[in-house]
Amino acid sequence: MGSNTKKNLITAGVFIVCLAAGLLLFNIVSGGKFLTADNIPVVLSHIVYPAFTAWGLSFLFACGYTDMSVGGVVVLAAFASNIFGNKFGYIGVIIPGIIVGTLLIFINFNIFAYTKIPSWIASISLAMIYEAFGFFLKTNSSTKQLVITPLNRDYRAIGQLGPSLILLAVGFILAYIIYNRTTIGLNIRAIGGNKEVAKAMGVNVNKTLLWVGVLAGLFIGVAAVIQLSYSGTLTVKTGLTSMSMIFQPLAIVLLAQILQKRINITIAIPICSLIIYSIFNLLTILHVPSGTLQEACLGAFLIIFAIIGQRKSKGVVK
Amino acid sequence: MAENVLEIRGLSKSFGSTRANIGIDFTLQKGEIHGLIGENGSGKSTLISQIAGLYAPDSGEMRLFSESYAPRSPLEANESRVSMVVQELGVVSSLPAGVNVYLGRTKLFSKFGLVSIKKLNQAANDEFEKWDLPKVGLHELADGMLIENRKMIELARAMSVDPEVLILDEITQSLSYNNRNKLYELLKKFKAMERSAIVITHDVEELIQITDRITVLRDGEVAGVLESANTTADEVKQLMVGREISGEYYRSDNEPDYDETAPVLTVNGVSVAGEIEDVSFEVHKGEILGFCGISDSGIHAIGKAVYGLEKLSAGEVLLNGKPLKSPTKALASNMAYVPKDRDNDALMMQASIWENLALPSTTELTGKMCFISPGKLRSTAQSVAEKMTVKCRDIYQPMSDLSGGNKQKVNFGRWLAKDIKLLILDCPTRGVDVGVKAYLYSLMKEAKKNGIATILISDELTEVLGMSDRLCVMKNGKLVTIIPRGDGFTEHSLIKVMV
Amino acid sequence: MKKLKIKTGDLVPFAALIVIFAFFAITSNGKIFSGYNLMLLLDQSMVTILLGLGMLFVVSQGSIDLSVGVNLALSGVVGTYVANIVGGWAFIPVCLIVGLVVGVFNGVMVARFKVNSFMLTISMLIGVRGIVNYIQEGLMKATGYGSQYLPESMLFLGNSTTRLIIFIVVLAIMAYLFEFTKLGRYGKAIGENETAAKNVGVPIKTMKILAFAISGLLAGLGGVFSVAKLGSTNQTMGVFQEMQTAMAVFLGGVLVTGGASAKIYKVVLGSISITLIVNGLAVIGKAESHISQSVEGIILLIILFITILVNNGGVQRFLHRKKNQELQ
Repeated sequence: MGSNTKKNLITAGVFIVCLAAGLLLFNIVSGGKFLTADNIPVVLSHIVYPAFTAWGLSFLFACGYTDMSVGGVVVLAAFASNIFGNKFGYIGVIIPGIIVGTLLIFINFNIFAYTKIPSWIASISLAMIYEAFGFFLKTNSSTKQLVITPLNRDYRAIGQLGPSLILLAVGFILAYIIYNRTTIGLNIRAIGGNKEVAKAMGVNVNKTLLWVGVLAGLFIGVAAVIQLSYSGTLTVKTGLTSMSMIFQPLAIVLLAQILQKRINITIAIPICSLIIYSIFNLLTILHVPSGTLQEACLGAFLIIFAIIGQRKSKGVVK
Repeated sequence: MAENVLEIRGLSKSFGSTRANIGIDFTLQKGEIHGLIGENGSGKSTLISQIAGLYAPDSGEMRLFSESYAPRSPLEANESRVSMVVQELGVVSSLPAGVNVYLGRTKLFSKFGLVSIKKLNQAANDEFEKWDLPKVGLHELADGMLIENRKMIELARAMSVDPEVLILDEITQSLSYNNRNKLYELLKKFKAMERSAIVITHDVEELIQITDRITVLRDGEVAGVLESANTTADEVKQLMVGREISGEYYRSDNEPDYDETAPVLTVNGVSVAGEIEDVSFEVHKGEILGFCGISDSGIHAIGKAVYGLEKLSAGEVLLNGKPLKSPTKALASNMAYVPKDRDNDALMMQASIWENLALPSTTELTGKMCFISPGKLRSTAQSVAEKMTVKCRDIYQPMSDLSGGNKQKVNFGRWLAKDIKLLILDCPTRGVDVGVKAYLYSLMKEAKKNGIATILISDELTEVLGMSDRLCVMKNGKLVTIIPRGDGFTEHSLIKVMV
Repeated sequence: MKKLKIKTGDLVPFAALIVIFAFFAITSNGKIFSGYNLMLLLDQSMVTILLGLGMLFVVSQGSIDLSVGVNLALSGVVGTYVANIVGGWAFIPVCLIVGLVVGVFNGVMVARFKVNSFMLTISMLIGVRGIVNYIQEGLMKATGYGSQYLPESMLFLGNSTTRLIIFIVVLAIMAYLFEFTKLGRYGKAIGENETAAKNVGVPIKTMKILAFAISGLLAGLGGVFSVAKLGSTNQTMGVFQEMQTAMAVFLGGVLVTGGASAKIYKVVLGSISITLIVNGLAVIGKAESHISQSVEGIILLIILFITILVNNGGVQRFLHRKKNQELQ
């Protein structure tokens, strides 16, 4: 036990040193423009949304499911927050967003579980439907005004740096506890690790799967509330462009999965979120155009992480 | 007379056409360590799986402490204080060792929905200490642990339900000497507490040493119950083997009969990491070369390595003097491989019968401009199906409709449509009924007559003894000896070398 | 011996097409059958069918290629760019080569590095789109407009008859490759049971790389067609095309897991169905993208569900059992 704690401390120490060295290196490469009083808050405020989405995704991945409709869900949840927030203030911002997020992901999981359609393709269909519904809300004459009116400035504190960092801390504690300290979290991991053994040991697989939907949805709902509070309004996306909203979180989860053996994944996620956003921030400072070459970098990262993550696994890959 | 803890009367269980347990009677007394032994396929695992609640018997009854006992799941068995360490199931590698001990029962340690890992690990640690098991890092993921330590986690898990009946399925073979002794101590302590255990192991001497009584199973039936104190290893083995090898079924001759001057395949010092080590042998034209060994002996890896399916860490496989590296090359060189697990590793269950039958012959049926005539594929498949008398409505039926025996006819027969030189068979008669078995043996004999070299890997000793010209015995991944057909071809002599 | 055996699963794409046709025939008062509209329908579905043919090789193996849309855009943009510099003759070869290179890259990643094909091609979707946008932005800065025009010597491709001829030839070649060569047969075996195929001796890696290569090559050809049709490149080339194509393949009744359910005709039928949905909605005046998108999404879910039900034992096995009972 003693040596174990020591080993963990050493791992953590080495990791923190590497991370600090990396950030310093970024600072040097950017000619001192990275670690500045102006830039650090920018970086920090941009890691909250991807971290929450990544926690949500990591619960899905932990039991072997993929959900590409998360972007569409975020948009709809944000719309709900927007509409009710302008009416009821903070309660309206927080509760409807979380409810819509949780509900939609829960519906998705029911569809995955009962139709047996592979989750990635089923979730793409769902993404199309959610996007279309979002577009409908934004163009329909009776709802148009409600949706395009940005969230009242008075109710947007959640998106500010301080509160959102507090939320990040709360989210982290929640994710950590759920993942490591609850029966449901342990059961989720057992199913992802070996469904048969888990079943034989008395884990109720179906019930656990529906819980995954609820928990992942909860985090994704919160992510939507944060994103809305930060930007005031969310643009509606069609043509599956909402999928782009999960590419960065996806990269974060993939990277966190690689580190998983050394660092608990719930801890790795905010760290990876920091790393990934820092990279893109650096690229921006270095005048690498966003939307073009930055996207190319993101694609390359995803492929590299996927290769590293896949390196040791044997067996059939589709 | 001691009290009976567990009483089993007339227990039967079949899987498809295979009768795994036939009318088994079994008693376990209070404070008894009871050994269970038998060859592979004799029904040991089936028996204990029913006791542990993994599956329900077809007929017969079990009574625990004189009350009716019919567990529907391992968890229910645990509630009746029956627990088991399974041979293959293992642990969830993505979870820490401590959690694995209590997985499925983590609610025991939760308050307001929060599981106290501290209390859980404390309880797990108590189990380890109580039974003096070698310590493992309870916080560490089971992923990187040695098999031995994983077994200890499983053992702690089994002990944690405070069992009245403990079942250990081949646990000693993965333990080192030290830990074996610890296990023996555990059993002694367990016995002193007036608890009972059922132990399965291939090691006859060990079994006699640590048990009070031994039940020997053979072909799904109880062959005999022996008092450990009054028996010998030979007597146990005698009972295990028991039956005569029927002449017609297998080969009738009693000596090797093949062309020694024509080696078809040469295997030179082949190793596969974690599977086999430095294995060398030759197979000749018209020879059936048998492979046998207990589980984990590496016999199944031989077939894969020869067909190019395993990455060799050392050595080489030469077909007619030319090195062979990939299954693609093996296919092109007229080799054939019939894997052990036909449903998962050999056949396309959702595809039609003809597609399965035609697959290995695709190259032969490719004409000019890479043209493959579907008609030709189908007619080839049709003729194989007819020749092999595959029982089906037509060859367009999906593979999954067929019975085990007919699936195996497809799995085996599709290679005989080709002009093959070397045939690798891995447990070719596993789970098929007697009629199909006899037919498959006749095919092997025919192949032998046609000069095809055969590698026959099998868990069934009688099969390799009945068919082989020479028999390779494997142990712990090494080739121990090669016995030529003749007087040395008895199960007794084999078991001595294998175990 | 019966020569042809129709499975229930094979009827799904026909049924789907008929239902969709009937729906729009009624709602459009037959307008959908006008000669002009039918020609338009054919022209619109050509690119989807081309990409679908390539994707079929990949899907039959149980993988997926979602990079065909961006691959089409990259091929078209690079092809036009090079053709404008070195001459019109280079247009087609450059498009095809670019497509092929992307395809081979995908294949090597999946076969050699064992990257999950969905993850890989989604990443390519992001990354390559970034590159395409970068090139087009660069052109915008250099020339003032984001689109480039096809050299005059290549404008003959704008004629839909020319494209139709190319299309038919390619369709014939692909049908031949898929139904009558090892490539198709082995591919389906991989989709049915990769372990079994490997154990028989099917060259898994080669087959996978070849499948992605063909998919890439046809995406390159899709680039040729797209640019030729408009006479120029544009910003939205290939956007959503990969989904349209994947939907066409699955709508046609090909199982996501691949295998013997993969058939050329299904891609053709599925492509026409999906194009018909878009086209039909336009004809009946409901062309808003969100309506067609949600209709496509719902139909895709339903068809996938039916296909899985029919193929994986629901209906089909039920029918078989009935027949067996009758036989006994």
